[in-house]
Amino acid sequence: MQLNSLAFRLVAGAALWSMAILIAGGVLLSSLFRDAVETAFDDRLLALLESLLAATEVDPETGIELTRPLGDPRFEQTYSGFYWQIDGPAASLRSRSLFDQALVLPRRESGISAFTSSDPGPNGETLRIVTRDIARPGFERRFNYTVAANIQAVEAQITRFNGTLVWSLGVLVIGLLAAMLVQIRFGLQPLRRLRGDLVDIRHGKADRLVGRYPAEIAPLAAELNALIAHSAAVVERARTQAGNLAHALKTPLSVMANETTAAQGPLADAVARQVTAMRKQIDHHLARAQAAASANVLGARTPAAEVIEDLRRTLERIHAARNITIETVRPGDAAFRGDRQDLEEMVGNLADNACKWARTKVRIIVSRRHDQIEILVEDDGPGLAEDQRVQMLQRGARLDESVPGSGLGLAIVQDIAALYGGDLALGAAPSGGLQARLRLPLAPPIAN
Amino acid sequence: MRVLLVEDEPDLRRQLAETVAAAGYAVDQTGDGEEGHFLGDTEPYDAVILDLGLPGMDGLSVLERWRKDGRAMPVLVLTARDRWRDKVAGIDAGADDYLAKPFVMEELLARLRALIRRSTGHASNDLEYAGLRIDTRAASVTVDGNPIKLTALEYRLLAYLMHHQGRILSRTELIEHLYDQDFDRDSNTIEVFVGRLRKKLGRDLIQTERGLGYRLAAPGDAT
Repeated sequence: MQLNSLAFRLVAGAALWSMAILIAGGVLLSSLFRDAVETAFDDRLLALLESLLAATEVDPETGIELTRPLGDPRFEQTYSGFYWQIDGPAASLRSRSLFDQALVLPRRESGISAFTSSDPGPNGETLRIVTRDIARPGFERRFNYTVAANIQAVEAQITRFNGTLVWSLGVLVIGLLAAMLVQIRFGLQPLRRLRGDLVDIRHGKADRLVGRYPAEIAPLAAELNALIAHSAAVVERARTQAGNLAHALKTPLSVMANETTAAQGPLADAVARQVTAMRKQIDHHLARAQAAASANVLGARTPAAEVIEDLRRTLERIHAARNITIETVRPGDAAFRGDRQDLEEMVGNLADNACKWARTKVRIIVSRRHDQIEILVEDDGPGLAEDQRVQMLQRGARLDESVPGSGLGLAIVQDIAALYGGDLALGAAPSGGLQARLRLPLAPPIAN
Repeated sequence: MRVLLVEDEPDLRRQLAETVAAAGYAVDQTGDGEEGHFLGDTEPYDAVILDLGLPGMDGLSVLERWRKDGRAMPVLVLTARDRWRDKVAGIDAGADDYLAKPFVMEELLARLRALIRRSTGHASNDLEYAGLRIDTRAASVTVDGNPIKLTALEYRLLAYLMHHQGRILSRTELIEHLYDQDFDRDSNTIEVFVGRLRKKLGRDLIQTERGLGYRLAAPGDAT
């Protein structure tokens, strides 16, 4: 359990107050028990005192006399731990168990009292003493009757009780904490589920939180959904605005470009060059802005097969004059973890390029590689030598050096792929034509 | 060959109209979607150049309505929206080709020629018939290798006949495909132009089918 966690806070809090309550309870129980046991012991001693009183007679002539034995043999055994003693004005009488010793009584108020003696008894034991001053007929001064007994049995009882008490309270604390932990795990489980669902969204398995959440978390989930929708809307708006800007600029550029082709002279040439540069800048930055805006959208997932089918239909129509067939190989259900329009731009540019160079056929092959989706676009055209292929990609990357009408499409593909952490490579197709290999993040399959 | 041009930006429309006309086509032009749709719906065009961002009715709707009503003329869509999503939408709406702005005029003309050629079933830019040869790219005509000078309207008539070799073409059809809508149509002018073509190219080339019209006989039928 981490120190900085809700679970730790709850468990630590619970441990603290339950410990406090249990310790206070334990102390209270222990002292109540001691009181009860001591009172019971005192009652027994008091009863013995009463018996002693009844069994003695006092006479001014003869002094104190035990008229019958007390019945408890322990008073007869030397140092047995049970003692009695009578002190009178004229004489004293002691139990046999005291042998030659006497009980030491502290100074005290007259009357009846019960206490635990601070002086050790005849045998070194701790004694519980009950003593009473009694007036007897014929004597001016009172007699003092005392019964004492070894308290060790009582202490042992109390110690045993305290042991049991500590042990059972300890078990109670552990049980409470365990129950607390289980409760926290159960209680916080929806939060863990929420986190799992968010991870799914980030990995493209879902585009919003759909699970049922408890009342405390449901508003949070709703807010997160709203946030996801908002970010998608912002991206869409940015894309629309970028598109509008491009649209607004491209028509005037068309007009200028056409005027320069009609006119002659250095001014026309300069304007023509600048118009071309502007067109490229617009295409480049528009594609980048749109892709950059969408590369971070959560929950984006695009099935490759659908995009490729759309493009196949469109490209066969556009290149109908040259009778190009586009063959799609194993599209399956592999999906790209990203925006649909970006995948369309990348595959569209590559496939369009392939159609321009192909003699009869273009092949688009989709496959999965670990966590990537791989799309191969092959044509059966003349192909490129290796150094030309390297040059193509470099030229695409440096916009300013690119020759009109070439490279830009590839540059856009490279840019978008890089934004998604993918890449574009050129190679030779088995048919001898050019093979473009696009690798992009694969969206995990949708969990049912 | 008669082409409909629908583009709302006046400068671009003027440039396009001039270029297309200079390439030997009769051109009708409009900047409004509704009017463009009406023209395409009622006049027999050999091709349409259609901008997508139009006032009145947007280009895609115009195109979809034409196709729904069975108008099958080739349509070249012209637009600044050049994302593949837009191209797919354009082609799915029934466009035959898609040209993104800004473009060069040569590209536009090449695409236009290819569309017309495809819609009339020809594979090459060079059309040939019994020693007569026209190059649709250069709008040039040769007979047995010797260049022949033709006026714009003479070329237009000959190109239409060459594109539809073997078919009998009525005067009305010829007029509809040779002149733009503003032209004062008089079917006698066709006879005048056929006469001039016969004078320049040889008497037997264009056959008169009495009461029906004219035709270039397919190579096998030539008499």
